[in-house]
Amino acid sequence: MNSKRTAQSIVYLMLVVFATITLIPFAHMLAGAVKTKLDFAATLFLPAGDGFLGIGWDRITLENFYRLFFELEISRALLNSLFLSSVHAILTVLFCSMGGYALAKLNFKGRNFVTTLVLTALIIPGPLLLAPGFQLLYQLDLLNTYTGLLLPGLTPAFGVFLFRQAMINGVPNELLEAARIDGAGEARIFFELVLPLVRPMMGAFLMISFMGTWNNFIGPQIILQSPDLQPLSVALNNLKGIYGTDYALIMAGTLVSIAPVMCIFLLLQREFIAGLTGGAVKG
Amino acid sequence: MKAFRAWISRFLSPGALVILTIAVVTSLIVASLPTKEVKGIPFWISAIVHYEAYTPLIKEWNEQHPESEFGITLLNARALERRMLSGFLSGSPVADLIETHLAIVAKAFLGPVDEIGFVDLTERLHREGIYDQINTPSFAPYTSRGHIFGIPHDVHPVLLSYRADIVEAAGIDVSQIETWEDYFRVMRPLMRDYDSDGRPDRYLMTASETRGDVITMLILQAGGSLFDQDDRPNFNDPINAEVLARLTTWITGPKQACTDVPAFTAAGHRQRLDGVVIATMTPDWMAGSWKIENPGLSGKLKLMPLPAWRKGGIRTSVAGGTMIGIAKTSHHIDESWALIKHLYLSPKLAEHMYRTTTIISPVKTLWNQPFYDEPDPFFSGQPTGRMYIDQAPDVPSRPSSPYNEAAGQKIVSAMIALRAYADSNKIYDEPTLKIEAQRLLDQEQQSLVRLISRNVFLLEDKTP
Amino acid sequence: MKKRLNFAPWIFLAPFLGIFAVFTVWPLIHSLFLAMQQTYGPGRVEWVGLHNFKFLLTDPLFWKATANTVKFALGSLFIQLPVALGLALLLNRPSLKGRAIFRLIFFAPSLVGLPFVAMLFAPIFEQRTGLLNVTLHKFISAWDPNFAWTQNYIMTALIIAALWMYAGFNMVYFLAALQNVSKDLIEAAEIDGASPWQRFYHVTIPGILPIAGFVTLLSVISSFQLFELSYIMLNDTSGPDNGGLTIVMYLYQTGFQTGDLGYASSIGWVLAIMLITIAMIQRRILKRHEEY
Repeated sequence: MNSKRTAQSIVYLMLVVFATITLIPFAHMLAGAVKTKLDFAATLFLPAGDGFLGIGWDRITLENFYRLFFELEISRALLNSLFLSSVHAILTVLFCSMGGYALAKLNFKGRNFVTTLVLTALIIPGPLLLAPGFQLLYQLDLLNTYTGLLLPGLTPAFGVFLFRQAMINGVPNELLEAARIDGAGEARIFFELVLPLVRPMMGAFLMISFMGTWNNFIGPQIILQSPDLQPLSVALNNLKGIYGTDYALIMAGTLVSIAPVMCIFLLLQREFIAGLTGGAVKG
Repeated sequence: MKAFRAWISRFLSPGALVILTIAVVTSLIVASLPTKEVKGIPFWISAIVHYEAYTPLIKEWNEQHPESEFGITLLNARALERRMLSGFLSGSPVADLIETHLAIVAKAFLGPVDEIGFVDLTERLHREGIYDQINTPSFAPYTSRGHIFGIPHDVHPVLLSYRADIVEAAGIDVSQIETWEDYFRVMRPLMRDYDSDGRPDRYLMTASETRGDVITMLILQAGGSLFDQDDRPNFNDPINAEVLARLTTWITGPKQACTDVPAFTAAGHRQRLDGVVIATMTPDWMAGSWKIENPGLSGKLKLMPLPAWRKGGIRTSVAGGTMIGIAKTSHHIDESWALIKHLYLSPKLAEHMYRTTTIISPVKTLWNQPFYDEPDPFFSGQPTGRMYIDQAPDVPSRPSSPYNEAAGQKIVSAMIALRAYADSNKIYDEPTLKIEAQRLLDQEQQSLVRLISRNVFLLEDKTP
Repeated sequence: MKKRLNFAPWIFLAPFLGIFAVFTVWPLIHSLFLAMQQTYGPGRVEWVGLHNFKFLLTDPLFWKATANTVKFALGSLFIQLPVALGLALLLNRPSLKGRAIFRLIFFAPSLVGLPFVAMLFAPIFEQRTGLLNVTLHKFISAWDPNFAWTQNYIMTALIIAALWMYAGFNMVYFLAALQNVSKDLIEAAEIDGASPWQRFYHVTIPGILPIAGFVTLLSVISSFQLFELSYIMLNDTSGPDNGGLTIVMYLYQTGFQTGDLGYASSIGWVLAIMLITIAMIQRRILKRHEEY
């Protein structure tokens, strides 16, 4: 009995140690964000001083945030990130659920062909499409536009695949049959019957899509040239180029860039993880 | 209301609802925001100190010339490079006036000469007599195949800044120093190993195998070069091998005296303040940057001409450079030209530049201005400007090859390989190292020549 | 089943098929041609035949990039995945309190996003004042506080950053897999007198093999596409002696800094071939194990 107890305590100890190690970079970022540029390199976390616990509480400052929002106009980049990520998320969920539904529940000639197409698309590595994709956007005159950034990625094969998986088992055929017999149109069936049944997957994919766009760097870096259009990933990196030595400022910027995703994640945790692992476990 | 809520929650969990709301709200905001029009003729720059120096001057110009107002934008160097190239190559909007670093400008020289996106200024410069007013070698990095595409912002001579407080306290007299050999011999007593761990804690100079800027400065000082006048790679110049070999003995082995102290990071500034190195090769802009980033050094440093590579050799080098050019697509070429002259030829800007950044003007006629002779407290009262100007005529010339950046990387590769060779074979004598250096340089030369010959857009024959 | 005149499926699939055709299929075909051209920006194009591939074979930068990328992939594979599995095993213990919180903490780094992780870690790897050097020096006095992570040991630094970022992410997959391993099988083994290690090796591992295979493949494929982490941490450069150059970074540099979209396409194809080969090899290995 005792050995089980010690085993359990060891486990807890290890978990706490690893958890602390995991949290350290976050703490480092938080501490850095509220320090001045000169104080940044002087101490690892909070500035040293004469205050409580040997910390210079009076030297904690919000000037980095002030600068970011009022001088460096990071709010525009923040707006861009929010806009691009949320719009992209909503549209991908819509289109991928439609495609997944067709492949999962509708019988038609060519269903197998399209399914194979989707599976093949999963294998194509992104970088392969960077150069020709860029040239195509140039020819379509879509460079330096939101459309050019969003359009190519509006229907990721991964999304179609996930929704197909979710619907195959999650949507009973009998339900659809009954609705059709009642005379309901396909669109009504889809929106009122099917979608509510895959609510968890919708939540999961919204999150996956949102995060993917939010953290996307290479796309906007290549396609968006005007600073007005650039999201946080590119804008913050540009700041880093100009104010490279000001780590405190960059830490503050990173905090601003991470916080929204973290908050949304807290709301969508369960669905997100279920969606991620669901595709793998059953697939 | 309750029914609506129930209906929505059939489809969207709370989190999903949040995302939907954000989408709607931000779409409305984005749609209603006016596209930010930078007022005035666009002028892009990439150096933050220039931004601060130019803004009041541009404001003044705009007030005096309401018909040709300019709007200045500060961009990150890589961002400016991307937008400039994107503009020149794919027709995206590009500014009328562009001022940026020579490494970035050179990338615009990759194609045929008549396709270079900058306006050819050669004729204007000669016709208006401006060419003769400016330090001639400073045009070199912005001249491609005989055509000048930009006006240099600077000369950037290099001096040696050293910790006068430490050196003079040890009773060392720097006026005896003429060559690098003299320097290391005279300064050797200052090396320290405080914690006796076998690793020196104080070095004599900033240098390492990864510092491409230092390597290039030494190569240029010694009379070597990466490209010849026709922009053909010139790596295997024996002088380059000599430089790499001697530098190896400085950074490793029994005569080791140098270490890398990063130029721009907080850690580097800290180390400099702590006296981890006695001296650094300092171009004028670096001196200016230290005054802002590392004020604790004030009064501790002094400047001296670089120790010569060999007796009688030049006492300076060159590092960095900025130019200003006009985009061919501009509809305001004459106004842009007028602004350039106003900014670059004015004594007022030269003074402002010198006071805020310690950068000396390339305009020779301004070199007799009195503010260059003022005692500089940062450098213990020395006349910093005058000291840099004294070296200006000797500043080496540099190529404008678009492969400059690639060449710089290859030199660093060769240097790293040479150091590894020295360390693994314990060979630290110059003559032997020089042979290996030559071999490595020949290799890199071939590699660069292959790279260049691949380019089908450079119509002239580049292979030697 | 009544087969009506079926427009419906095609309407549902229209967005996917349309975008797929225009923005995936067409560029894919086009990139075959692009790979045989040299461009100076998207507007100026010249045909060069197979020259790009010939040059690629002896391009020292490409091989340096490949070596770096492989180094990173191996490091990720052999360090990240065991750590993730270990964490999952710890969290899988029955009657563990606070599992949800631990899971959240471990998973949080993967939310940060590659570009932001790079910005977060840049000061951590600083010489002398960076978090890592200071801490290591505190615990190991022989550690050189001036250790130049981002000069000489770039790939190692990136492996560390990637470990922080993805260990928790992979852990979640392993956790799901572990929880799927049939408890009856484990109990049966216990009754048979198998030691914990034997139970692990003979029951647990085969049970999680499908997911482990999936996670491994995913990890290797994403490691091969390393770009943002290196590019941003090294300030838009590839580091001294190209120590931070990766295949995708080289693609980005040639395509979007030098402007040669043709060469970038050829690099893309070589990368695709590498990834497909790896995927096929991995499938072979897994199939062999499943046949047990």
